[in-house]
Amino acid sequence: MATARMLLPARDTRALLIKWVVGLLVPVMVFTFVWSGEQILNNVLLGLTGAGSTPYDTPTLIQAAIFIVVFYASMMALVGYLVAADSGNRGMIELWIDLAVFTLVPMLLALSLGLVIGLALCAVIWPLYFIVRRRVVKALHYTPPPPLKNLKVLDAEQRAVLVSRAAAGGFWFGAVFGVVWLIVDLIYYISGALPTLLLILAVVRTVILPVAGYFLGRLGGVVAVRRTLAAKNSSNGNQQVSGDGRGVSQKRQLEVLSTSRAREEARDLVPNDLPLRSSGAQRFYLILIVAFVLFYPVLDPFLFGFGTSGRLASYGEAGYYVILALGLNIVVGFAGLLDLGYVAFFVIGSYSWGIIGSAKLTQILNLAPLNPHLLSALFWPMVLAAALIAAFFGVLLGAPTLRLRGDYLAIVTLGFGEIVPIVFLELDQYTNGTNGIVGVNSPAFPGVTWSIVTPVPYYYLILALIALTIFANVRLRDSRLGRAWIAMREDEVAAASSGVNLRNTKLFAFAAGAFFSGIAGAYYSAKLGGVSPDNFSFGNSVIYLAMVVIGGIGSIPGVIVGALAVYSINILLLAQLDTLASDSTNPLYTLHNAIAHFVPGFSFGNVRNLLFGIILVVIMIFRPEGLIPSARRRRELHHAEGDGEVELGTLDVTPGSAEFEAEVRIE
Amino acid sequence: MSLEEAQHAGEPLLKLDSVGKYFGGLAAVQDLDLEVRSKEIVSIIGPNGAGKTTVFNLITGIYRPTTGDIRFDARSISGLTPDRVLRRGIARTFQNIRLFNNMTVLENVLVGEHTLLKAGVLGSLFRPPNVVREEAEARKRAIELLSFFGTELVERQDEYVINLSYAARRRVEVARALASEPKLLLLDEPTAGMNEVETLEAVKYVRRLRDELNLTILLIEHKLTVTMGISDRISVLDYGRKIAEGLPEEVRHDEKVIAAYLGTPATRAERKSVD
Repeated sequence: MATARMLLPARDTRALLIKWVVGLLVPVMVFTFVWSGEQILNNVLLGLTGAGSTPYDTPTLIQAAIFIVVFYASMMALVGYLVAADSGNRGMIELWIDLAVFTLVPMLLALSLGLVIGLALCAVIWPLYFIVRRRVVKALHYTPPPPLKNLKVLDAEQRAVLVSRAAAGGFWFGAVFGVVWLIVDLIYYISGALPTLLLILAVVRTVILPVAGYFLGRLGGVVAVRRTLAAKNSSNGNQQVSGDGRGVSQKRQLEVLSTSRAREEARDLVPNDLPLRSSGAQRFYLILIVAFVLFYPVLDPFLFGFGTSGRLASYGEAGYYVILALGLNIVVGFAGLLDLGYVAFFVIGSYSWGIIGSAKLTQILNLAPLNPHLLSALFWPMVLAAALIAAFFGVLLGAPTLRLRGDYLAIVTLGFGEIVPIVFLELDQYTNGTNGIVGVNSPAFPGVTWSIVTPVPYYYLILALIALTIFANVRLRDSRLGRAWIAMREDEVAAASSGVNLRNTKLFAFAAGAFFSGIAGAYYSAKLGGVSPDNFSFGNSVIYLAMVVIGGIGSIPGVIVGALAVYSINILLLAQLDTLASDSTNPLYTLHNAIAHFVPGFSFGNVRNLLFGIILVVIMIFRPEGLIPSARRRRELHHAEGDGEVELGTLDVTPGSAEFEAEVRIE
Repeated sequence: MSLEEAQHAGEPLLKLDSVGKYFGGLAAVQDLDLEVRSKEIVSIIGPNGAGKTTVFNLITGIYRPTTGDIRFDARSISGLTPDRVLRRGIARTFQNIRLFNNMTVLENVLVGEHTLLKAGVLGSLFRPPNVVREEAEARKRAIELLSFFGTELVERQDEYVINLSYAARRRVEVARALASEPKLLLLDEPTAGMNEVETLEAVKYVRRLRDELNLTILLIEHKLTVTMGISDRISVLDYGRKIAEGLPEEVRHDEKVIAAYLGTPATRAERKSVD
C-alpha cells in the first residue's frame, strides 16, 4: 500500500500529530481505564458472545455497544479533523492544559460527585479558568495574530495532503491507543482478572483500531477540507462569477471584513488557530452528545453505579425547565420583550392536561368516568392542545401590553404572572383550589409502562419534546419571522418602516413562547400525576428568566445549558448539601461541623438561597453575556467597550458633531 | 399602464391635502399641501426645525395627522400603521440612519424584503421547497440590490452594519428601503455627514434610482447644491408651513426662501457681528 509512506509523517506534521494524538489520548484513556469505558466494553463482549455472565440484559448491552462504537469512532474521526484543521499556531502545552481543564476536570468531577453536580460545578469553574487564562495571556503581553492571517486558498494537491495528514492522525491515534489497551489487558490477564476469550478479542481489537483509525481519520480530513477556501474562485481574480457572490470571491469577501467580524468568520475556517472551537469539531461534539443523551439510561449504571432511576427522574424534571427556558427565550431573547410572568402559561398548560387527564373533567360535566386507558391515549393530542391553549392565552395576555416596552411591559406581565395562578386557585370547582388535582393520568404508548418507579419512558418523552422544541426554535429563528423578531428588538421604528407589523410580530412572539410552556405544563402534570398550585409562584418566573440570562439571551445552546446549570445548581446541588454533609466521608461534613461550631443550628438548607444568589451574581459578574452567548449579544455588550471598531472615513462627519453643524449652516 | 397614465394626467402619486400635526399646542406642520407626481424627484428644504422630518413621519404613518388627508395612489393612507404604508408602496430612510446595527448587511436588506416574502409559521417550521426557493431568491435579490451601489457592499454582505463607514451605512439603508419594491422612496437627508466625493456619488445614485428603477423620490436635503442639481421641484418649509414651491430656479430667487434660509438682512448682519 502506498499509504505506508503517508503514515510516516513528515517533519512539519509530526508536531501536529503529537499535539493532537497525545492531547486526546489522555482524556480517552482516562475515560476508558479510570472510568468505565473498558468495563462497558468487556460487559458487552462477554454478554453478547455468551462467554461470561453479566448482570445486564441483551437490549441494554446492544445499546451500550452502539454507544461505545460511536464514541471511539467519533473520537478517531475528531483527531483526523483536528490534525487537518490545525494551523499549528498555538502551542502544544497551552492546548494540553486547555484539554485537561475541559475534559479531565468534568470527568473526574462527574465521577466523584455525579454527572449533574459535576457539570454544574464545571459551569462555574470554566469561566473562572477563562478569566485566569486571559490574565496570564495579558501578563505575557501576547497579541494574537490577525484572525485571517493563515487563510490560504488551497489547491487540489494541498487538500489531498490535508486528508492524508488526517488519515495519519486517525491511524496513530488508533495504533497507540490499541497498543496501550493491549498492554493493560495483558497485565490484567497475567494477574488473572481477564478471561482468555477477552484477551483474544483484545488482540483483534488492537488490529482493528489502527485500520478503523485510518479510515475515520480520513473522514475527519474530508470534513476539514470542506471548510477550506475554494481554489477556483480566486485563481483568476475577479473574473470568476460564483453563484450568489455576484463576481466576488469568498476570499475577497473575507479580506474586507472588519477585525471583529473576521474573527467570527475565522472560527470555522480551515486552517484554524483554534480548531477545537470550529464548527467542524462541533459536529463531532454534537454526535457525542446525542449518542450520550440517547443511550444515557443504559449507560448510567456503568458510569455512576446505584441510584439510576432517581437520577433519571430528576433529569426528566430538568427537561421541562429546558423547554420553558427555550420558550421564554423566544419572547425575551428574540423579540426583546421582557416577560416576568411567564409562569402563567405554564400554569395554563399544566391545568389543561390536569383537568382533562384526570377524573375532574367528567366530574365537572356530570358524566360517567372515562376509561383511564382512553384518557391516557388522549395525552398525545392534548400536548398539542395544551400548547395551543397556552398560545391562545399568550395572545390574549399579550394584546393589552402591545404599546408597552421595557420596564412597563415587565410590570404588566408580572401582574399577569400573579393573576393567572390565583384565578386557577380560586376556581375551586374546576381545579380543587389549594388541594390541587390528583390522579392525573400518565401518557399511554403501546408496550411501555409509565409509572413513577420507571422513569425511562418519561426520560425519552422529555427528550423527544426537547428535540421538537429545539427544532422549532432553530427554524423560527432562521426564518423570515425570526428576522422580524430580531429587527423589532433592534429598532421598532425601523422595523415597522421596513414592513414588519409590530402588533402581529409581538403577539406571535408571545404565542410562540406560551406554546412551548404549554407543552412543558402538560408534560409536568403527567409526570407528577397531578397539579399542585404551590409550584406556580412569581419566583418560578424569575428562575426561568435567570436560566435564559445565565445561559445567554437569544442563544439556543446557551439557554439549554443555562437551564440545566441553574436547575443543577439550585435543585440538585444546593438542595442536597445537607444530605451530602450527613455523610462523614464527604468534605462537606467537616465544613458543616466547622461552621456549626460557630453558628449553632447551622444547616445548608438555611443558606441555600443565599448561596444560589451568590453563584448567580458571580456568574453575571464574570460572564455578563451568559455562558454560551449568541454572536449578536456578545457584540452588543462589547461594543460599548470600544471593541467593535467603527470605520470613519477620513472625511466622514457624524451628525451632531461641530463639523457637521458647520457644514449644514454653510449651505 | 393605462392606470399609470391616468394618474399622470389626473391625481398625483402622493398628495397631502392641508395636513397638520400638533403636539399639544405646538404646530409642527400646518396646513400643508404637497404633491408628488410619478417619476418626479421632489425636495423639501427648510431650516432646522422647519418640520421636514415630521412630514416624512406623517406620510409613513409614524405620526397620525391631526388635520387633513394624505392620499397615495388615489387612496387615503392617513392613519395607517408604518407597515401598511410600506405595503402600499412607500419606503423611507431616516435622517440619523436607523439600521439594525447587530445584523449583517445582507440581513438588513432581507428584513426590507419582509413584505414580499410569504412564509408563515408552518412554512418556516417545515420549510417546504417553495419556502426554500423563496428564501434563496430573497437572498439573490438582496445581493442584486447591494450591487446597485457597486461591489463594496456585495463584498461586505456578511459584515455587521455597525462596522461600516457612514456613507456605506446610508447606502445599506437605501438598499433596505428598495428591498420592498416601493413606488415612492422618501430619503431623509441622504447626503448628511458626507464629504464632497460621497455627496456627488449619492447624487448620482439618487438620479439612477429614478432613471433605472423608475422610482418616484421625495427627499429632504440641506445642501442646496444637491437639491438644486437633482430636483424637478422644490418645496420650502419654515415653521411647519410651506412658504414657497416651484422649480429650483424659482425657489432659489424667492425672497421668502432667502429670508428663511439665510435670515433677513437684519439677522444676517447680526450673525456677522457675532463672527
